[in-house]
Amino acid sequence: MPTPSTTTETVTLTIDGQTATVPKGTLVIEAARQVGVMVPHFCYHPKLTPDANCRMCLVEIEKMPRLQTSCSTQATEGMVVKSSSSVQAQEARKMVLDFILANHPLDCPVCDQGGRCDLQDFSHEYTATSSRFQELKRVFPKEYFSPLIETQMNRCVQCMRCVRYCDQIMDVKALAPTGRGTLTEIKAFGAHELDCEFCGGCVQICPVGAITSRLSMYEFRPWMLKRTDSVCGYCGDGCQITFQTKDNALIEINSTQGSGRNNGDLCARGYFGYHVSEHPDRLTLPLIRKGDEFQSVQWEEALELVGQQLLDVKAKYGADAIGGLISGRCTNEDIYVFQKFMRGVVGTNRIDSSARYGHLNGVHALQRVQGTHRWSVSFEDIESADTLLLVGTNITETNPITGLKVKEAVKRRGAKLITIEALNPAIGSISNIVNLAQQHLGVKPTGFSTAILGLLKAVVEQSILDAELQGKAPAYFNAISARLQALSWDAIFAQTGLASDLFTEAAQVFGQGKKVVVLVGPGVLRSEGGFGMTMNLMDLLLITGKLTNPGCGLAPLAEENNDQGAFEMGGTGAVLPGGTSLGDPAVRENLSKAWGRPIPDTPGSSLPQLIEDAQQGKLKALFVVGENPLASLPPSSGIHSALEKLDFLVCQELFLTETAQKAHVVLPACSYAEKDGTFTNTEGHIQSVRTAIDMVGESRPDWEIFSALSVMMNNPMEYGDVKEIGKEIRNLLPGTRTLGPAPLPAQPDSSAIARYVTTDYQRDIAPRYQLPVNDAATDEITLQVSQSLFHSGKFSRKAKGLLQVEATGKIYLHPEEAARRGISDGDMVKVSNSLGEVLTPVGLRERIPQGVATFPEHFDEEIRQLLPYKVDPETQVPYYKLARVHLKKVVGS
Amino acid sequence: MGSMNLKEWVKTLTFYELLLGMKATLSHLLKYKPITLQYPHEKKQLPSNYRGMLALLRYDDGTEKCVGCDLCEAACPSRVIRVVSAEVPEEPAKRYSKEYYMDMTRCLFCGLCVKACPVDALGMTQEYEWAVYDKRQLHLNKQQLLAIGDRNFPVREKRLEFQHPNVAYFNVGFKEIPQKDVE
Repeated sequence: MPTPSTTTETVTLTIDGQTATVPKGTLVIEAARQVGVMVPHFCYHPKLTPDANCRMCLVEIEKMPRLQTSCSTQATEGMVVKSSSSVQAQEARKMVLDFILANHPLDCPVCDQGGRCDLQDFSHEYTATSSRFQELKRVFPKEYFSPLIETQMNRCVQCMRCVRYCDQIMDVKALAPTGRGTLTEIKAFGAHELDCEFCGGCVQICPVGAITSRLSMYEFRPWMLKRTDSVCGYCGDGCQITFQTKDNALIEINSTQGSGRNNGDLCARGYFGYHVSEHPDRLTLPLIRKGDEFQSVQWEEALELVGQQLLDVKAKYGADAIGGLISGRCTNEDIYVFQKFMRGVVGTNRIDSSARYGHLNGVHALQRVQGTHRWSVSFEDIESADTLLLVGTNITETNPITGLKVKEAVKRRGAKLITIEALNPAIGSISNIVNLAQQHLGVKPTGFSTAILGLLKAVVEQSILDAELQGKAPAYFNAISARLQALSWDAIFAQTGLASDLFTEAAQVFGQGKKVVVLVGPGVLRSEGGFGMTMNLMDLLLITGKLTNPGCGLAPLAEENNDQGAFEMGGTGAVLPGGTSLGDPAVRENLSKAWGRPIPDTPGSSLPQLIEDAQQGKLKALFVVGENPLASLPPSSGIHSALEKLDFLVCQELFLTETAQKAHVVLPACSYAEKDGTFTNTEGHIQSVRTAIDMVGESRPDWEIFSALSVMMNNPMEYGDVKEIGKEIRNLLPGTRTLGPAPLPAQPDSSAIARYVTTDYQRDIAPRYQLPVNDAATDEITLQVSQSLFHSGKFSRKAKGLLQVEATGKIYLHPEEAARRGISDGDMVKVSNSLGEVLTPVGLRERIPQGVATFPEHFDEEIRQLLPYKVDPETQVPYYKLARVHLKKVVGS
Repeated sequence: MGSMNLKEWVKTLTFYELLLGMKATLSHLLKYKPITLQYPHEKKQLPSNYRGMLALLRYDDGTEKCVGCDLCEAACPSRVIRVVSAEVPEEPAKRYSKEYYMDMTRCLFCGLCVKACPVDALGMTQEYEWAVYDKRQLHLNKQQLLAIGDRNFPVREKRLEFQHPNVAYFNVGFKEIPQKDVE
C-alpha cells in the first residue's frame, strides 16, 4: 500500500451513504473500512501494493464508467461510492465467486482454514447455492511436500498475496506462479521442495486454505482455539505473537496484522519454533544429586537444601563466595527478583546475565557517549530513515524482523543502505540484505574494525564534519583525525581488500543522510574489540553531527529476547536496576531504603571473573538460572574446570542441559508460554508476556522460586503475583512506566556528550584507532561460529518444527573457496588448529565470503573446542566466535 | 312430556343408546386384540426414521467414512461428541478421526450431528436397549461406535473413486492421487 502522505491534506467521500474523511491518497477500500464498510477482497492486503487481480472488491463509483476495484482506486474529494448498496456491484461479486468456485474444491470440512476462510465467508454472503458450471474441477497432482508448509493448490484462488508477500516484505522470492489462467499454480522455482526462510508469512496471508502449516495440520478447527497474546521468546526483536491453544496444547502461533512491533510479520523461529514448551524432556520435578545420579524430590526438600547450602557457604566463606548467572531469556520480573535475592538476601553483587555475551558492548557504548542505556531510535525511525548503515549484523539471520524494517526502508521508501558485512551479494534460499545495499563494503568477520576505521578516515578526509561540535571540542576532532591520518589506505586495503574510493563513496552517502540509523550486530558486538568498534561507530555519528539529530542514532541489536531487560533490571553485576552504577553510594542508599535491606558495597563481577574466581577456589557456589555456560562458552574459557571446583551448583532450568547435568540441585522452571511478565526488546519496549498453557509438571515461574528460597533463608521477599513485582519495578524506575505500544525513544543526554568529547574519549582512543594485527597465514581460513535463521540459542533445538529445517551443523564455505581446496558439497573435512581438531560435513553457500567458513553456533558442541577465548578489558565481554583454522578433506568420505 | 312415536319406543325398549355407547366395548369383547406390548417378550415395529443409538459407518470396502472434520462436535447441542482428528499415517494430506468419543449419557437424540456430517459417516440406528448398570459404559469410543454401525447397517455405501469429481479429490491421500508423468 502506498503510504498516505504525512501531510494533513484530507478528502471527504461518501461510501454507502456514510461520510468518510481520510488523508489524501488513501485507497477507497481503506476509507470504507474506516467507516465500517467491509468491501470483500482476496488479493488486497494493507501491507502489499495493490494488484487488483481478484476483482472481488468491485464498487460502483458515481461518474465513473464501469465498476472500479476499490483496492486500487484512491479516494478523491466528493467521490460517491456504493458497495453493498449497489446491485451492480453485488451482482459482479456473485459472478467472481462463481468463477472461483468453478474450481475451488468443496472440501471445507477437512480444510484447516475452514471456519476462518475469506472465501467461505464471502460465499455465504454473496453466492447462490448452485453453480452454472458442470465441468470437472481442475486438479493439480502434488509433486512433493515441503517441510513445515503444506500447499494444496486445488484450493488456490490465485490472489498472489503469498507471492507478493514473499517478494515485497520478506525479499526472499521463494514462491512464484507457474502456468496460465486457471492452471496457475504457486510453487517454488523448479520442481523441488520449498527451501526458504520459512517465515510462515504465506501461511498467515493466504485468504483460503491453499497454504497451511504442516505442524498442526488437521489437529484443530479454528473455533476450538483459545487465543493468548504474548511476546516471542527468541531474539531481541520482541515480536507480538498469539498462542493458539486447544485443551492446553499449543496448536499454532499467529501474529495479527498491524499489531506489535513486528506489524504481524514473523520469522521461522517465531512461527514454527513453539514446541519447546511442550517437549517431553521438560523437567517436571526438582532433582537432587545423590552420587552420580539425580533423584526426583518435592519442592520443599530441594528448596531447603539450596537455602541451607547457600547459608552454609555464606557463613563459611562469606557472601562473595556465591555467584549468580541469569539468562536474558527470563522475564524482567524474574531478573529483578533474582538480583534482589542475590543482593538483598544472599548479600553479594556477584551476578551476571547473558547480556554479557555481547549486548553490553552496545549498551555501555550508548551509556558512555550519549548517556542513555537504550536506543535513541525506534523501529519507526529505521523505517523512515533515509540512510542506513549496517555493520556486522547479518540481520536476516540474527534479527529478522528488524531486517524487515530495513527492507521496508530500502525497498519501499527509497532509503540508501550502506553495509559493512561479512557477506557476499548473492542470491540464496534466504534473503540477503547486502543485495539491497547501495554501498556494500564486504569484509571478513575479522575486518570490521578496519572497515569502520576506513569509513571514519574517509569521512574525515572528505570533511563531512559537524562544524559546531568541532568548534566546541577541537581537541577531540584533532585527536581523531590525527590518528586516522596515521593509518594508510594501503594498510586498510591490505586488511579488507577494499580500495579507498569505496570508502569515500560510502562516506559521501553517509554524510548526505538526514536521518541516519547505524545498526550494529553480533559480528561487531561479539567479536574481539567489539566495544572499541561500537565506540568508533558512536564517534562516526558524533563527528558527522548525526547523533543528536532526531531520527538518528546507533542501534545495537540484542540476540536474546530480554538482553536489554537483563541490563535494565540490574542483572549485570556492577549495574543496579535502571542502569545505574553500583559504585554510586547515593543510588545504593536509595535502593536499599526501597528494598528495606542493605545492598552490599562489594564490587559486582562479570561472568569471566566468576569463572576465574571459581578456578582459583574463591567462588564456592553458583546459582545458574536458565543459562547454560558449558554449552555457550568454549572449553578454552576454562568453564569446565571452574564448574568442577564449585562446592555447590544450582541450576534452574527447563531441561537437563549440559550445565544442569553437573549441578547438585536442579530446579524446574516454567517456559515463557506458562508465565506472566514482561520482556524488553532490543529497542527498549517493554511488552507483556501472558500465560498460554498450564505449568508443565511441578515447574514454577523463576520469581516464585527465588521468593520461596528467600523464605527458606529467613529473609522473606514475598510477592503475591507478577503484577506486584511489576508495580515495585515501576515505582523504582521511572523509565519503565511506559508499558505500551510505542513509547518515545530515549533522547541523547547533551551533558554526557559534552563529557565524552572533552575528556572521556582520551581514556581509550589510542587502542581504538589502531589497525588490528593481521596474522593471516596463507592456507588458514577464518572460522566464524554464527547465528542461524532457524535457531536461537540451544533452546530452539528442542523445537521439532525448526529441526525439520535445520537439524545438524555443517561448516559452510563459498563454492569457489571449496573448489580451490578440492572440497565438494557434503564432503567430510577435518577442521583443526592448535586447540584441537573436529570432523564435520561441508555445505556450500554463495553468500559466505572467500577465506571464511561459518558454522551455526547452535550445533557447536564439537567445533567450539577450536575457539580461542578473550575478554574485553573494558566491558568484560567474552569473545569466542572467531578462530583461525586449517581445513583438510577427509579422504574416503 | 309429549307423545312418543313408535321409532323412539322401539329404541327405548331395545336399549339402543346403551348398545350404541357400548359398541366399542362389545366389539372388543367379540374380537379380542391385545394393546399392551409384552416387552421385552415382544418388541415394537419402529418407523424407518427412528432416532436411536448413534453409529459410525463404513464404506463398502471397509474403510471408515469419518473424515474427522469435527462438525458433529460443533453441531452437538449437549457436547456429547469429542473428535481428535489427525493426518492418516502413511497417507499424507488425508484427514481422519484418530479418536472419536460419544458420551451417550448426555445425548438428546436430536440427530443434528447426523445432519451436520458432510460425508454421511454418522447414522442413527434402531437400537434403543442401552440400559446399563454403570454409566461409564455409555461413554463410547470409536471402535464401539463402528461396531454398532457394522451390526446395524449391513448394506454399505459404495466408496466413490476420488469422491465426487465436482468436489475435486475431497479427502484423498496424497498417495492415491495420480502423479504427473515425468518425461
